[in-house]
Amino acid sequence: MAGINVSGLVDTERGFINPSIYHDQAIYAAEQEFVFARCWLFLAHETMLPKAGDFIQTYMGEDPVLVVRQRDGSIKAFLNQCRHRGMRICRADLGNSKAFTCTYHGWTYSTAGDLISVPHEDDAYFNEIDKSQWRPAAVRIANYKGFVFGTWDAHAPEFTDYLGDMAWYFDAFVDRWAGGAEVIEGAHRWLIDCNWKFAAEQFASDSYHAEISHASAYLAYVAPGDGLTQDQLVANRKKGGYQFAAPQGHGTGFRTSPQPKRVGPVVQDWEASVLPEIVDRLGEPRALYMPGHATIFPSLAYLSNGTFRVFHPRGPAQIEVWAWGLVQKDAPEKVKDERRVEILRTFSPGGLFEQDDGENWNEIQKVLRGWQARQRPLSIQMGLGHWAGDAAGFPGRTAYVFAEEAARSFYQRWSEHIAGTSWERLAELDAAYAEASGANGQAVRQPEGQSS
Amino acid sequence: MTTTDHDRAKTSTRSNVGPEIQYEIEQFLYDEADLLDRWQYDEWLTLMAPDIHYWMPTRTNRLRRQQHLETAGPAAAAFFDETFEHLQQRVRRLGTGLAWSEDPPSRTRHLITNVRVRSAAIDGQYDVECSFFLYRTRLEREMDMFVGRRTDVIRRAANAYGWQVAKRTILLDQSTLLAKNLSVFL
Repeated sequence: MAGINVSGLVDTERGFINPSIYHDQAIYAAEQEFVFARCWLFLAHETMLPKAGDFIQTYMGEDPVLVVRQRDGSIKAFLNQCRHRGMRICRADLGNSKAFTCTYHGWTYSTAGDLISVPHEDDAYFNEIDKSQWRPAAVRIANYKGFVFGTWDAHAPEFTDYLGDMAWYFDAFVDRWAGGAEVIEGAHRWLIDCNWKFAAEQFASDSYHAEISHASAYLAYVAPGDGLTQDQLVANRKKGGYQFAAPQGHGTGFRTSPQPKRVGPVVQDWEASVLPEIVDRLGEPRALYMPGHATIFPSLAYLSNGTFRVFHPRGPAQIEVWAWGLVQKDAPEKVKDERRVEILRTFSPGGLFEQDDGENWNEIQKVLRGWQARQRPLSIQMGLGHWAGDAAGFPGRTAYVFAEEAARSFYQRWSEHIAGTSWERLAELDAAYAEASGANGQAVRQPEGQSS
Repeated sequence: MTTTDHDRAKTSTRSNVGPEIQYEIEQFLYDEADLLDRWQYDEWLTLMAPDIHYWMPTRTNRLRRQQHLETAGPAAAAFFDETFEHLQQRVRRLGTGLAWSEDPPSRTRHLITNVRVRSAAIDGQYDVECSFFLYRTRLEREMDMFVGRRTDVIRRAANAYGWQVAKRTILLDQSTLLAKNLSVFL
């Protein structure tokens, strides 16, 4: 498979990124083919499609797909494009349907994506059309603990292999509650004029920005009378934590000190009451410190409070963010509702935290229009060489919470993808990364008083 | 069962009050808009009732036969779902000097039109619908246009304006928000 020449784009040994990777149209085209048309992408959570015939329309890169619950309970997905003249088959965001009829000439597809009816099949087509040859491209599906992912690539590894060591961390989000999780009805969808990698990389690898970018939100959450000062908040945030980097491009970071609560006593009491069960099942580190912030390569991101989102690329300089909220299925309604409100007030486009992220990514993107702005590398050097393998009970390569180890692995894998590297070769690289992580890492140094 | 926006769309909301009340409430809405456009957020908060519910649901594209589901319900994703304390917190954030999405601040113009006032069951309280056009520019050339309908409950109050907003539902005429944030009040 022929990718593009990636020399000079990413140098993870020295911590350099060529700013053109966020701006260049040819690189963007390569991403559509070699990242979004072959990696595993998040499609839906199964609770978004409870009944047979329930469908949502989403995107894989720029390609619209229909994701549909089948009568046998399985979930299928296919390109939302009529094979006759390329019209979008279904123009609703979601709904329930027995079949999908293209409104151009009336070709009709089953919920599984099979072409089942062609108008004038007898008199115009002389019954010579082989309908089995004219179905929209089918998506290969993996249902990981309720999270449904899809890929166009028959050669892509199994989803669990694609996750690698990230599965252990991802489970702290997707498998947190014994009784399962469900998605809050509805989604936030909005536009940010920035490259998708700014968003994806930040959720994988950037705890560093929070106390500057989100200073106003932290201050606003210090309610009069709760006794916690901003200085104490910042001091807490400096007390240790870890970042995990996966050769597959995933990353996550989490703190090992208590973080400020943004929910009231009802939710706090409920969460305390279910914590022992989570500790039993997942162990203390995952129960107490995670999920933190994370990205599943390339473009699914999530946070501790249950927000999760996909960054759909719309050209090199724009994304659509589609964000949902995950809650404990068997929590009381008032707990779910307070969590719903907390998510929208922090990490939706009007959220006290989210607003400032868009500001950063959008302004970087504008500056990158300049020629000079793309002539010198940007820095991903933080913590270069300071990591450990399988340390402190954490699988894979971990670093201090303020690090860019996960950014380096994200961009490394990104460049390998757009170079057209085969899945077989990527598996070899994953094994080499794991070996290096175990053998050569320097122990992760934590601030005094914190174990490492 | 709550009245959906789809139901409301089929129901007349013509004014049924006299010109004096209509005028007073229109002027109140213009005063409110003016405070927002002058960045007078603390003063603006005095126009919000302590028990206000300030809500802006999300919307989706639906087939016509499922159009009654077009606007998200109260238990679903919303852009705003605020109590008075929540609004206070947003104003407090803007005052920190560290709220980068509004520093430098947006230039906004809240245009309020199509005001319809109906008496409510409670004395001194009115159901008020209006159309809004919020034009915003920021920095060198960012521009956003937010257009939609507000459905307010407005009641007599002992403040300098004589009125407070007791409930606000903001229906933005967009499904995907065509802006990078909602750092402003609508």
